[in-house]
Amino acid sequence: MNQRSESREEYLEAIFKSAQSPEGATVTRLAEELGLATASVSQMVARLSSEGLVRRDEAHRVVLTDEGRAAAIRVVRRHRLSERFLTDYLDLPWDQVHEEACKLEHVLSDEVEARLAAQLGNPQTCPHGRAIPGEDGELASEEARPLAGLSAGEKSTISFVSDEKPDLLRYLSSLGLLPETAVSVEDVAPFGGPLLIRVGRARYALGREVACKIFVRG
Amino acid sequence: MASGCCTQTSAQGRAQGALVVCLAGNPNVGKSTLFNRLTSSAVETANYPGVTVGLNVAKARWGEQEVQVLDLPGTYALDPVSEDQWVARHGLLDWRPDVVLAVVDATNLARNLYMVLQLVDLGCRVVVALNLVDEARRQDLRVDPAALSEGLGLPVVPTVARRGEGLEELTAVAATVAASADGLGHGKAVRFSPPIERRLATLMRRLEEKRVELPYGLPQRAAALAILEGDEELVGLLGEGRRDVAADETPLAVPIAAQRHAAAGAIAEACSEGHERQQVADRWWRATTSPLSGVPILLAVLAGVFAFLFFVGGWLSALLTSLWTATASPLLTTAVHALFGQGALAGTLLWGLDGGILAALAVGIPYILTFYFVLALLEDSGYMNAAAFLADRVMHLFGLHGRAVIPLMAAAGCNVPAIMGTRVLATKRERTIACTLITLVPCSARTAVILGSVSLFAGWQWALFVFALVALLGLCAGLLLNRVLPGEPEGLVMEMFPFRRPSLRLVTTKTWKRFATFLRAAAPLMLGGSFLLGGLYETGLIWHLSGPLQPVVVGWLGLPPVAGLTLILAVLRKELALQMLVVFAVARYGVAASDLLSFMTPHQLVVYALVNAIYIPCVATIAMLGRELGWRRAGAITTGTVAAALVLGGVVARLLPLL
Repeated sequence: MNQRSESREEYLEAIFKSAQSPEGATVTRLAEELGLATASVSQMVARLSSEGLVRRDEAHRVVLTDEGRAAAIRVVRRHRLSERFLTDYLDLPWDQVHEEACKLEHVLSDEVEARLAAQLGNPQTCPHGRAIPGEDGELASEEARPLAGLSAGEKSTISFVSDEKPDLLRYLSSLGLLPETAVSVEDVAPFGGPLLIRVGRARYALGREVACKIFVRG
Repeated sequence: MASGCCTQTSAQGRAQGALVVCLAGNPNVGKSTLFNRLTSSAVETANYPGVTVGLNVAKARWGEQEVQVLDLPGTYALDPVSEDQWVARHGLLDWRPDVVLAVVDATNLARNLYMVLQLVDLGCRVVVALNLVDEARRQDLRVDPAALSEGLGLPVVPTVARRGEGLEELTAVAATVAASADGLGHGKAVRFSPPIERRLATLMRRLEEKRVELPYGLPQRAAALAILEGDEELVGLLGEGRRDVAADETPLAVPIAAQRHAAAGAIAEACSEGHERQQVADRWWRATTSPLSGVPILLAVLAGVFAFLFFVGGWLSALLTSLWTATASPLLTTAVHALFGQGALAGTLLWGLDGGILAALAVGIPYILTFYFVLALLEDSGYMNAAAFLADRVMHLFGLHGRAVIPLMAAAGCNVPAIMGTRVLATKRERTIACTLITLVPCSARTAVILGSVSLFAGWQWALFVFALVALLGLCAGLLLNRVLPGEPEGLVMEMFPFRRPSLRLVTTKTWKRFATFLRAAAPLMLGGSFLLGGLYETGLIWHLSGPLQPVVVGWLGLPPVAGLTLILAVLRKELALQMLVVFAVARYGVAASDLLSFMTPHQLVVYALVNAIYIPCVATIAMLGRELGWRRAGAITTGTVAAALVLGGVVARLLPLL
């Protein structure tokens, strides 16, 4: 696999993920996500744009074209299938598989991807609870969004907890804030204040930065 | 985090022949209430070096049997991811209790059982105290103790700790479990998923083959689980050969936690009946946390707290002062003069004993005691959490989270207990910021100086001006520190407890315990400071200090030389600044100087009170900063406040005449 297409796939994946955040895929956000300078991101976005994979919207955000979206979803599918494989077959813990899968996602051929999916029993979600897109490129269920985006009175199910901070992840899991747990938002303090959520019979106040690490769906 | 080298520090406390009983459970489930009910003796606190959370130990007698009861910190789990959980687990491992009383909240069984299952996994012998059954009944929730006992494989006793119900049965069952030699109290371990169980079995086999020595009498399954959960601390304590066993293991902490939660949920489900009902307390909740009504309520509560402090504290202060001056003071004076004559020694002793204790009675004790009472009341009612929730956003500007609001408020009483109170904050960064801000909150002593000098002689508007400047400085310091200090703010994760009617007995006990801790920490320093001051004054050494200060005090701040002297010495006890100002002025300028305006202008008084309010807090505060943050940071905070006080004081001294 050549270097060019690998980094192209990285970009498409990053744009796909960033598009779900409230501010959308801005160049700054992409630079953050990919750990690169904004200048090089702008350059690559321009190239992708000339290839017809992305365009800029009225707010100058980067948006995937249909072709770009299909390519991005293909990478996401391979990433999440790889994660599934790493946890289910190789017993790797689910808070460690992300990086490994970042490498694998670029080297799977269509053939291997299909066999892998079949071997795994066509799983619907990755080990973190995120939906694996189908072979036809369709997302089986809605994408997860951060808990912080919910408003008072909304009910939802935890899809996954970001694994950027392992200690926080572990602390939250000891409180029972785990994937597939139902949560409801009771109050949201204004001006970016904390959220008051209910899980089972307990209520927790979660600071916004913590609520941004918990993703929900439904 | 402290290492495992300090184990004997607290294990030494285990008394010969006594039964050791541990109380474990989530926060706010009535564990401390049960502890107070079960024990009669004074409470001792066992500390681990470098760790701020302590273990409370007290004695009890069950029939003929002597018992030591150990109260673990309230935690949600026993993983070493936070300081309180680390201490809770070490308490269990080091003391090797004969029986653990797991206190669980009947109204929130599923989450509470998680820790019970962890206790079982650790190999503890457990009796479950199913507490708050009255609360559950009120919520139309029935928990069947027999079914719970069946599900866990553990004895279960329903209790209402607040009223002492079920405690006799609880102690009887606990004594039986502790005395029995069979598997009683060992419970049913969670069956994890087949892949995890397979790996556990392999690990246990390897531990056996390599003859790895297990510390604390840990069962093999507990050691295997620790390896699989990636618990480096516990694994580090395993004997020879652990490297070979744990070498290629990848941790599975989160799946194990998830499965343990699922098991806890299933057990809770099987023994509970009924559904939740909208409670009156729930409506209160909404009112205190929803911003529209919550902010006015918060402001009203704050106003109430300060009014209470002002009136009750003031009343107590007057009462104690008149009692002391009417009884102890004359006796002490006569006794000292009779024993030591009229010389400098007698004078010094009187400064320390009479003056020092009087100052404590007049300024320190009344306000701090009152403050602790209000604080305990607010905490036990559950309101503190609502305040923390509302304040979270503002605290974020300073890189803190909502819980920091509690010690910051406490600082208005006295900085010393407030600094101890920053232990509720998780990171050193937060604690450094919070402690710096605390030192900038005028305590009751500094407020007394502002009111007694500026407000009295220059007018209340000027007092307000001083407070506003100090507040502004605090704001800037917070914003600045949040930008400058490396790292980023921790997020708020806080359980919101339901409102409960506080019990006067518990509130009083809590108040007294905290007050005693404060006295032990601050009293020696306050008295020592008074002796030192007395010595300097009585020997006349004090006047030699004023010379070198001239350029700063007179030249930069524009204050009379005596004022500078009192500012320096006030580091021993802040409220003394004003007392000494009067004493020195009278000594220098004659009796008429008791009216401060006779030798200082209103502007000078403003500068004086401002500098006194900002520069280094008192020695007791510095000592506490050193203990809690380390001397480097304590030094930095001290230097920083001195610099801020001098700069701001000098600038204000130059600007005021222009107005």
